[in-house]
Parts: sequence; C-alpha cells; structure tokens
Amino acid sequence: METLAAGTARRDASPVPSDKGLAKAAEDAVVLRVSDVHKAFGDLKVLNGISFDLRRGDVMSVIGASGSGKSTLLRCINQLDPPTAGEIYLNGVPFGFRVDASGKRTPDSLSNINRLRQDVGMVFQQFNLWPHMSVLRNITEAPVRVRKMAKAEARELAEQLLAKVNLLDKRDEYPARLSGGQQQRVAIARALAMNPKVMMFDEATSSLDPELTGEVLDVMRGLGEEGMTMLVVTHEMGFAREASNRVMFIHEGRVEEDGPPEQVFDNPKSERCRAFLSKSYR
Amino acid sequence: MDVWRSIILKNLNLFAEGLWVTTQICVIAFCVACALGLGACLVRLYVRPLRLPATIYIEFCRNTPIYVQLLWVNYVWPDLFGWPQSFFAAGWMALALQSSGYLAETFRAGIEGVDRGHLQAAHSLGMSPFLTFRSIILPQALLNMAPSIMNQFLVLVKSSTLVSVIAVPDLMYQAMRLTAIWFQPIEILSFTAFLYILIVFCLSHAFKLYADRLRGRYGLAMA
Ligand SMILES: Nc1ncnc2c1ncn2[C@@H]1O[C@H](COP(=O)(O)OP(=O)(O)O)[C@@H](O)[C@H]1O
Ligand SMILES: [Mg+2]
Repeated sequence: METLAAGTARRDASPVPSDKGLAKAAEDAVVLRVSDVHKAFGDLKVLNGISFDLRRGDVMSVIGASGSGKSTLLRCINQLDPPTAGEIYLNGVPFGFRVDASGKRTPDSLSNINRLRQDVGMVFQQFNLWPHMSVLRNITEAPVRVRKMAKAEARELAEQLLAKVNLLDKRDEYPARLSGGQQQRVAIARALAMNPKVMMFDEATSSLDPELTGEVLDVMRGLGEEGMTMLVVTHEMGFAREASNRVMFIHEGRVEEDGPPEQVFDNPKSERCRAFLSKSYR
Repeated sequence: MDVWRSIILKNLNLFAEGLWVTTQICVIAFCVACALGLGACLVRLYVRPLRLPATIYIEFCRNTPIYVQLLWVNYVWPDLFGWPQSFFAAGWMALALQSSGYLAETFRAGIEGVDRGHLQAAHSLGMSPFLTFRSIILPQALLNMAPSIMNQFLVLVKSSTLVSVIAVPDLMYQAMRLTAIWFQPIEILSFTAFLYILIVFCLSHAFKLYADRLRGRYGLAMA
C-alpha cells in the first residue's frame, strides 16, 4: 500500500488503492483519479467500471454515442450523482467517500463534498445561468457566498474573467438577453471564478447554433493552452483532435479507447470506435 | 341625487374609516398568509417526517369555506387557545388561514418549477442546500409566481368583506350599517360595490404592470 500524492492535503491517512509502480512524480501530477467507477439507476447499468487518471494540464476529450454514459460520468465525478461503486480522488483526496480507521468506506458529508466541488468547475450543455441575476452577479455569487471572497475582490475577478471571454461590456446584462454563445462563455467564467483545479465540460457547444460554437470552442482551447486540466465531453471531433492531448471513447459505460488523438482517430483498436468515428465524420 | 348628497357624501368619513380597516386587515392577513404558506410549503417539501401534517394543514385551509373558518377562529379559538381576543384579530387570522393554503401550493409550484439545471449549477459550485434555496430557488419561485401571488391578494380583498359578519368595522360593515340606518340599499350598496371594483381593478392592473416590468427587466417572456 502506498499513499497517493503525499504532498497534497489529505484529510485522513487511510490506505488508498493505487496502481503499483507508478513513479512518485507522476502520482503527484494526478489531479483527478477515477477508479473503477460504476453507476446504475435501478436496474439500468450506465457506467460499468471506468478508470483513468487526469494529470495536471491534461485536456481529455470524451467521445461516444448518445446514451453511452458520458454525462453520467461527469455527474459522478463531482457527486451530483454519486457513483454506485468505485472511487474518485481529487488531488489524492477521496471525493464523496471517507475511509474510517477500520477501513470501512462511508459516504462523505455534504459539506466535505461541497468543499471539493469548489475545485471542479462544470459547464453544462444548457448553460444554466441564473436568470434573475446579472452576468456579473452570476459570476460573483459563488466566490462571495461560498469562498467568502470580499465583494469588491470578487467583482474585480469577475471583470477579469469577463474580459478573458470577451464579454466585459455585458457585465450588467441579464442572461436572457444574451445569445447562447455569450451565455456559455459567461457560464465558463462563472466556473473559473472558483479557481478550479479541473474544468469539466458536458457538450458545451451542443445546443448552440453552428455559427456560435466557434467562440465557445476558442475559449475552451485557450484554457487548455494556459494549462488548465480539462475533461471535455464533446461531439466536436475537430476540437478533440486538435485541442486535446488525450481522447477517451466510451461505449455502454466502458472505456473502449484511451490515448492520444492521433491513435484514437487514425488507428483505433476497437471496432466500435471505428464505427462511431465513421458515423461522426460523414 | 338627494340620497347621494344626503347620505353618501355626508358619510364619506365612514366609508373612509371602513376602507382603512379593510386595508389594514388585508395587508396584515396577507403578510401572515405568506409566512404561514411559505412555512407550510417548505415543511411539506423538505421535512419528510412532517410532510403529512403540513399537507393536512394546507388541504384544511383550502377546503373549508372562509365563512366557516371565520366563525371557527372567532368563536372556537378563544376557548381553545385563549386567542384572538378581538374581532379584528379573528378577522385577519381567518383570512390568513385560508390564503396560506393557496399560497403554500403556489409557492410549491414555483419552487418545483425552477429548472433543475440551475440547481445543479449551484451544487457544482459547492453551494449548500440552504444557500441554493436562498439565492437561486426562492427568488426565481417568487418571480415566476408573482402573478399568482398577487392574484391571491385580490381574492383576499374580496373575501375580506366577510369579516363584517363578526362585526369588524370594514368597508362592507360600514355600508351595511348605513343601509340599516337609512334604508337606501340601492345607492349605498352600489357605491360600495363601485369602491371594491375600483380597488380590485386598479390593484390588478398595477400588479400586472409591475410583474411585467420585473420580467422585462430580466429579459424574460411576459407571464
Ligand atoms: N437520473 C437518471 N435516472 C435514470 N436513468 C438515467 C439518469 N441519468 C441518465 N440516465 C440514463 O443513463 C444513460 C446514459 O445517459 P447519459 O450519461 O446522459 O449519456 P450521454 O451523456 O453519453 O448521452 C441513458 O440511458 C439515460 O437514460
Ligand atoms: Mg450527455
């Protein structure tokens, strides 16, 4: 037994199962570890043992047919839908469970889960901006109320982020008056305001008109280039190929392919992945 | 015209006094109804063990006639609880009771109608359930339900005429009293009806204007 990421703040010293033989340095860089995660809704098994490590600066695109469990995976990671089995670690800290002295695993408290959620940004297909708050307030709400940041400081941060996503002039506007692409960029800024360790995107451009996807993909690409660790569920094969350093293909809740884009796109091992890709590139 | 001059104009002060009592009783009753309704709705939605009592309370309030509630609060409560000791308090309490049942259901619809995605966004940022409720759910529920909530106030204004039967000196009570004194029901009651129409009509338009402006401010479709 060895401990994961000894350098990071661990809340308990319980043994953590991990792949043997991984170099300590590499272990340190693992930001998100997903280990044999299963999820079932009643009899419906949606995730059937998903494992991967996301290292600092990784941009991993997750592709797969509709219904293959991609959204469920993201929701399991930040405990919106807790996994039925398996473990998630964020910087080596168990996410959503606790191991007591006797080695028994129990669900973690909501306040601990909420603390870890602050470090995982999530961007939704439907943007999910709060319609009764201005753009600025959408971004400052969580930093002020959850991170207890001073209002002026949060405002400054929000303005920086809005400038970054090219929407500073919309800061006092309400979401309903923005285009889909603008709303999604605000949603990205909102997630970034919590200074997350990982950003997860769930088909961030799928509900946008084609002419608006570019502005959102550009922001995402820029984030990746700045070194943000990202997990990107997408149908944008161009983005997956060019902006990510890893591509994972999921089929029926299992990882069928996981490798660099060239390998997954040009030389997939799995027949299903090949079929999926040929359908995606009509 | 004689009646108009000799009775209505001469007794305008009584009408005004009645109107003032009506205003007080409606405002107090509505505030209490909002508090009770929100409380009942929150208990029903979020406090599992008390769900049944809350549901019974809500159904009781909605399904008993206001007249029965009025007499019940006025004649039975003082013996049961030692309160209320005045007709006025009994009046607003009974009105509040009935409205709270309807408001509880209105609030519930508003809360359940909030887009689940908005809640997930809040949770994904680490917001606690309480913070999510306060910052995201309640404001949206109130905004979306504003027309129904305001409509409930108008219903309450109209129901408030019934408090005259337990001798609360509201507008309706004054009208009845003048009628009994002067035996001129046509003029007196018509004028009273006119006053109520005026109040309810103006309020309903003011409310609608306000609700639309509110939604317009947020760029939302008109309700
Ligand atoms: N809350 C839920 N309850 C029941 N079934 C669900 C729930 N969420 C997702 N599912 C089911 O899980 C499967 C995978 O869904 P999802 O993760 O959304 O797929 P994807 O994002 O890859 O399209 C689907 O069959 C879906 O119906
Ligand atoms: Mg999905």
